Amino acid sequence: MLKIGTEGAYPPFNNLTADGQLVGFDIDIANALCAEMKVTCEFVTQDWDGIIPALQAGKFDAIIASMSITPERAEKVDFTQKYYNTPSALAGPKDSPLTGVTKADLAGKTIGVATSTTHFNYASQTYTDSTIKGYPTSQEFLLDLSNGRLDAVEDDISVLEEWLKTPDGACCKLLGQPSPQPDEIFGQGAGIAVRKGETDLVNKLNAAIKAIRANGKYKEINDKYFSFDVYGSEN
Amino acid sequence: MGSIGTLLSWGSDGWLDEIAYGVFVTVSLAVATLPLGLLIGFFVALAKQSSEASVRMAGNIYTTIFRGLPELVTLFLVYYGAQIGIQAVIRTVQPGATVDVNSFISGMVALGVVFSAYVSEVFLSAFRAIPRGQYEGGYAIGLTKGQTMRLVVLPQLIRIALPGLANLWLILLKETALVSAIGLNDILRWSGIAARVEREPFLFYSFAALMYLCLTIISSFGINKIERAVGPQEPAR
Repeated sequence: MLKIGTEGAYPPFNNLTADGQLVGFDIDIANALCAEMKVTCEFVTQDWDGIIPALQAGKFDAIIASMSITPERAEKVDFTQKYYNTPSALAGPKDSPLTGVTKADLAGKTIGVATSTTHFNYASQTYTDSTIKGYPTSQEFLLDLSNGRLDAVEDDISVLEEWLKTPDGACCKLLGQPSPQPDEIFGQGAGIAVRKGETDLVNKLNAAIKAIRANGKYKEINDKYFSFDVYGSEN
Repeated sequence: MGSIGTLLSWGSDGWLDEIAYGVFVTVSLAVATLPLGLLIGFFVALAKQSSEASVRMAGNIYTTIFRGLPELVTLFLVYYGAQIGIQAVIRTVQPGATVDVNSFISGMVALGVVFSAYVSEVFLSAFRAIPRGQYEGGYAIGLTKGQTMRLVVLPQLIRIALPGLANLWLILLKETALVSAIGLNDILRWSGIAARVEREPFLFYSFAALMYLCLTIISSFGINKIERAVGPQEPAR
């Protein structure tokens, strides 16, 4: 019996629905991994801010919640290999005069980013001539973008694409993907976090990720949610 | 994406049932915390006006700590700290054992101790408003210390402390929103999930605000009732 912690408020990766169901890419992947490992899994939803402490305190055994693998986090938890890696992108108003997303393009502009994310670290190191506004979650800066308070926002491309499809997102468009996107900042993508020292569980999960990549289960789940391959480059 | 009516409907298409459950969690947490906080607060107030210097100091340290720490830190200390602590102790006896500290209980304890620290100050000022003569009168007609406290001092104390306590109750009701950080699905957590999933933050956060406002209005009615019951009748002198 494996207890899996997730956030439940990050569509389309993991979110609760109006009828109390937990759905999303992370959830489907988790279920596929559990089936592959032949263990029963139980999901626990937990607010993002307390998710690593809750893992360490033993409230659950693994976090499958689109958590980016970063050196900072790796000091506190052990990660599996990535199970997906979508690029970071910037979005802005439809009538935005911006033609690119380099440091020079965005000089003097205000960029909204969620704090405690890799996007925030990247934006504050890259766009040093811009004003970086930190928000608790993407929801708030997207709201501010549609209110016209921001010139651009930076987030995962899948999150931005999803939002652009909604009525609120009608105001805006993708401005582009910053390049290069160094691994030192963005990490190797999203991995599964487990408590330090649980090497056995990490190995089992890694084997299961490889297995569902190989047997087509991964692609089936990928295509259910995305028009592009979220896994990123093979490694 | 549905209409406002659908989004706020009861059942599998709407979020009303989820948010209603959140209201239930918020209210039950606040109601469960109240007696705990009042009781601890009362005894801390007694300690702070004790004739024994060490007891006074203990009371003062208690209020300094729990009024000084941010509520969220206290909450994390109780929820994660207690779990790790208790687990470490139990594992010395039985290795591999896991303990699960309940998030409702943790929330109750954390909010309770913070609440009690403030309550003790309210009680302390109420104690000071009661003239020495009231105690002396009680002893003079042969009441014991306990009886004097219960029959003479306490009724007056409640009357004087009530406005301050009512204030703290309303603050407590809203502070329960912090427990969403430890995995309790209260009003704010459910509204936040609904806002992000449906991408209707204004609607759902306004609805949450309305829920808190309703709870506050209902509380005010209750407080008025108690105020009338303990009444304006000043004892005849």
